[in-house]
Order: sequence, then structure tokens, then C-alpha cells
Amino acid sequence: MRLSDIALSNLKRRKLKASLLVLGIVIGVASIVGLYSITQAMQQDLANKIDEFGSNMLILPATDEVSFGGVTVQGAGTVRELQMSDIAKMKTIKNKETLAIIAPKLLAEEKINGKQAMLVGVQFRQELKLKKWWKVDWLGGKKIMPGGEQVLVGSDAARVLGLRPGAKVNIKGKQLTVAGVIKATGSTENDSAIFLDLTTLQQVTNHPGAISLIEAAAWCYTCPIERVTAQLQQKLPYTKVQALKASTQSRDDTVRKFSVFSFAVSIVIGLIGAMVVMMSMMSSVKERTRDIGVLRATGFRKTHVITIVLIEAGILSLVGGIIGYAIGMGAASLFGSAIAQLPITVSWNLIVALAAIGGAAVIGLIASAYPAWRAARLDPVEALRYI
Amino acid sequence: MSLIELKEVHKVYAGGDREVHALRGISLSVEEGEFLAMMGPSGSGKSTLLSVMGALNPPTKGEMLIDGIDVYGLDSERRADFRHEYIGFVFQQYQLIPYLTALENVMLPLAISSRKDKEQREMAQNVLEKVGLGTKSARLPHQLSGGEQNRVAIARAIVNQPPIVFADEPTGSLDTKTGEEILRLFQQLNRDGLTVIMVTHNKENLSWVKRAAFIRDGSLEKTESYASKLA
Repeated sequence: MRLSDIALSNLKRRKLKASLLVLGIVIGVASIVGLYSITQAMQQDLANKIDEFGSNMLILPATDEVSFGGVTVQGAGTVRELQMSDIAKMKTIKNKETLAIIAPKLLAEEKINGKQAMLVGVQFRQELKLKKWWKVDWLGGKKIMPGGEQVLVGSDAARVLGLRPGAKVNIKGKQLTVAGVIKATGSTENDSAIFLDLTTLQQVTNHPGAISLIEAAAWCYTCPIERVTAQLQQKLPYTKVQALKASTQSRDDTVRKFSVFSFAVSIVIGLIGAMVVMMSMMSSVKERTRDIGVLRATGFRKTHVITIVLIEAGILSLVGGIIGYAIGMGAASLFGSAIAQLPITVSWNLIVALAAIGGAAVIGLIASAYPAWRAARLDPVEALRYI
Repeated sequence: MSLIELKEVHKVYAGGDREVHALRGISLSVEEGEFLAMMGPSGSGKSTLLSVMGALNPPTKGEMLIDGIDVYGLDSERRADFRHEYIGFVFQQYQLIPYLTALENVMLPLAISSRKDKEQREMAQNVLEKVGLGTKSARLPHQLSGGEQNRVAIARAIVNQPPIVFADEPTGSLDTKTGEEILRLFQQLNRDGLTVIMVTHNKENLSWVKRAAFIRDGSLEKTESYASKLA
């Protein structure tokens, strides 16, 4: 027989009370786990949605010469340029998984139909992912992925140059077709530019592999944008990596509000759970005053009595933690989307499981420390009503 | 050297605005192998004296030595160790743990020893057989008669082979025949070398003991020696 056997025997005897205590812990842990999981899923969903609004990083050469979107950058044909190989380097940073979209651009100015126009070489697949808000009047009325022989024209450029979907435009001797006209976006760099395939522009300007700037979008709910920009800056020391603060700041604020709410509710539930455990263990100790008196008279040390009480609390808390985690995750998976009013995906996570179960055990043990101490301090003579 | 030596032991309880003098300067020596009865009317202080001698209840004044050790000079945890090694208790109403079987109740004092589970079970089973309950080891206390519960309590008190057993009114709630069986068991254990100190208010029990100490109003009135009844 060991102290744990005494604790287990007592739990078996008090099945109903032990079950009720476990139920209390289950409800607490399930609530916290469910809330946390839903909040995490909401945060991720929110971050994904915010990232869809566009880039939050800009990578420029260290010396700038051409203006794009309010930022002056180096143009093709000038001294310094980024290279396509820089994109590969970007994908080697520590938090590379956060880089969702990398959209390189080559900028050039060219006279078309006798008028000055801004040419922007892009990888259309990346660019269209980045600029989800673009509304395009497509050739044939259906969205296509423009190729090397096609261009998209900003609304102002189309108006000034007299271009419509299907029109031909001559760029440095190469005949390209207007695949679509971008409806007015309200931003000069989009409305007044002609977008064509990056490789095509590199060829016609005789700058193979050259890039003027890179726009990137990072999913940063797992790490601060500043960390990603610092990592990029280290990999590309000859560039200037800028984080677009406004986008990240608003996202961070929203995410923080969710976190604070979740944390506050979890604390309240944790405190209530701890009180339930404490009251239950106090009651258990009081019920067993005589038994504890017998143990003390028989030679059990105070530490032995404390150990027995804590083993009981630990077992109940662990069982409650395990069941509570399972129920909390199950409930979050089943009802999370309805509660959050969002189509969220709750993922099972070992760290959350360990934190929930370990947390339940720790809270149970802390809450039982006082009842255990009270039990150990019982005067055996008083406990046995000896006098 | 006496096994137990009490020197001018006083015990005063603070009861609200007045003090209760439970023990008034008791001096008593108990030799190894004695079967001592502590007699006295209700409220005489005999149970308090038992708790003091049992290393459970520090005296307000005076000294108590067991095997030459100043028991109340030990801190609380070491005094618990001392009880574990030296003393077995048979409490009033037996005080068995209700959710443990007879065998487990007997194993309790062994639970804090370094003995392996198998050895603990063997020791407890042997002692239960010694007290005549070898076949009832799996029963819970409420499945046993009063006499049987008393025997389990005695088995629990001696399983750790302490030199001293204190028994508080062990026959108090038993019929005459069962009470005699319990006293016979104590006498047998005493003959095997155990020192037994028993609180009782029943004068008929004196025929089983070797000596009696008469307590009245917290004082030791007298001691008497007997040629105890043959088992």
C-alpha cells in the first residue's frame, strides 16, 4: 500500500462527489479550451482576410529614382536594380512560411502613341492575387490570366492612350494586346500604368532578370511584421525593406482585442474552477477529519497527509483536464463557426492539449494546497475527539 | 530504566474565560512488558493522560520519556516518526477507515514504510490471522461486527511491531463475552512481550491486567498490582 492507494480508495468511496468535482473541472477546461480554440481560429481567419487586402511590405533598392505609389524607386536603365535571384533569397528567411505573396515589379517609362506612360512589369499570377480589389473589364467579358503578349491597362492610361480591351499597343517595337482595362481604383500608380508581363518588359528594355521593387504580403498573425522585415533586410542588405504600418497596426489591434477578451474570460473561468476545487477539497478534508486523525496518530507525517490530499486533487484535475480538453475541442469544432459567425477551422494542437491538461492539474493542485495544509495541521487529538 | 516515565505532568486546557486543569502533576513509571489499566470515572483525565503518554498531546508542564527519549522535545514530524516506530493505538469506536478493507486498514501503518506491497500484505494478513480474522481480510469495516472491528483495530496497532499499544476503552461498546475475548487477546499479546496500556472504567477488566493506575480529578490516586486472570 502506498499513499496513492489511500487517495484512490477515498476517491472510489466518494464517487458522486468526485464525479461532480471532475464535472466542474471539465466544464471549466472545456470552456477555456473552446474559447481559446475559437479565438485562435478567428484570429487566423481575420489575419488571412486582412492579408487579402494587399501587400504589407515593400522592398526597394537602397537608392531610389522612380516614383511608384508615392514611393520613389529606381527605374530600369539606371545604375542599381534588384534581381530575380533576390526572390529566392527572400524564401530563405526564418519565418519564410509567413510570406504569402511575393510580387516583383519592373518599372519603366515609355512614350506610347506620343504620350509618356508608366510601364509596370509584373507576374500576373502574383499581382492579381495581391490586387484582389481590381475590377477589370476583360476582353471577352471573362477573367483570363494575361500572358507574355498581353497587357492590362489602368483606367486613366486607357482613357489618355485611347486603349480598349482587344486593342493593340506597341511597346518598344513589340505588339501586345490589351487583355483588359482596370476600372478606376483611386490610386494613381494603378490607374495610370500599363501592366505587362515582367519577363516581356525585361526583354524589351534589355534588362533581363531586373526588378525595380518587390511588393509582398505576409501572414503575420504568428509573428510581428517587424521581425519579418528585419529578416528580409538581413538577407537583402542592399535594399530598403519597409513595413506598411497602417495595415499591420490595425490588424494587430484587432487581434489583440480578441486575445485580451479571451484571456480575461479564461482567467475568470480558471478562478471559478479553482474555487470549486478548493471548496470541494475543503469539504473532503472536513469529512475525513477522523480518518486524518487516525493517520496522524499512526505516525503519518504532515507531509504524508498533504501528499494524499494533493494526489486526490491531482488525479481529479488531470481526469477533468483530459475530458475537458476533448469536449472543448469537440464543441469548438462543431459549434465554433456558429459562435464566431465565421467559417473557421479549429485545429487540434498538442501544445494546447498539454497546456489545458497541465493547467488543470496545476490549478487543481494550487487550489488544494490550502485544504491540504489544513488537513496536515489537524490536531490528531482534536480530530479523534479524543478528550 | 522504565519504558515510560512521566514526571510531574500537568495538562491545562484554556476553555473560554476559564482554564480546565485536566492533569495535575502526574508521575508514573511503566515498565517494559506491563499490562496497565488506567481506571477512573468519566472526566477524571484518564483519556487525556493516554493521549499525553501516546505522544499525541504535549503536556503543559512536566516531562515524559519513552525509552529514555524526551518525546515532546521532538518536533512534530519527528514525533510522528516516533509514534510510527514505538506506539500502536486502539481507539474508542476503533476508528477504522470506512473505505478500506480490513486488510488495507491493517496495512495503513506500513504504507509509510519502505516495505514492498507484497511484504506489507503478508505482514497484515499474518496479524489478521493472529487476531482470528484471517478469513475476513477483504471485508469493509461495516461488514464486520463490533468485536471484529476491534480486532482489526488491534491488528492495525500491532502490525508495525511497536513495543507499546495504547487502548482507549477497548471493551466499552462490546458485550461481556466479546469484551473478554478482546481482553484475552491483549493478554496474549502482552505475554508475547507487548506493553499494553488500557483506559477503562470497568472494574471487571482489572482481573486481566497486571497493574492499575487510579486517576481522579486529574491526579494519580494510587496504583495497584494484580495477579492477572489466566487466559
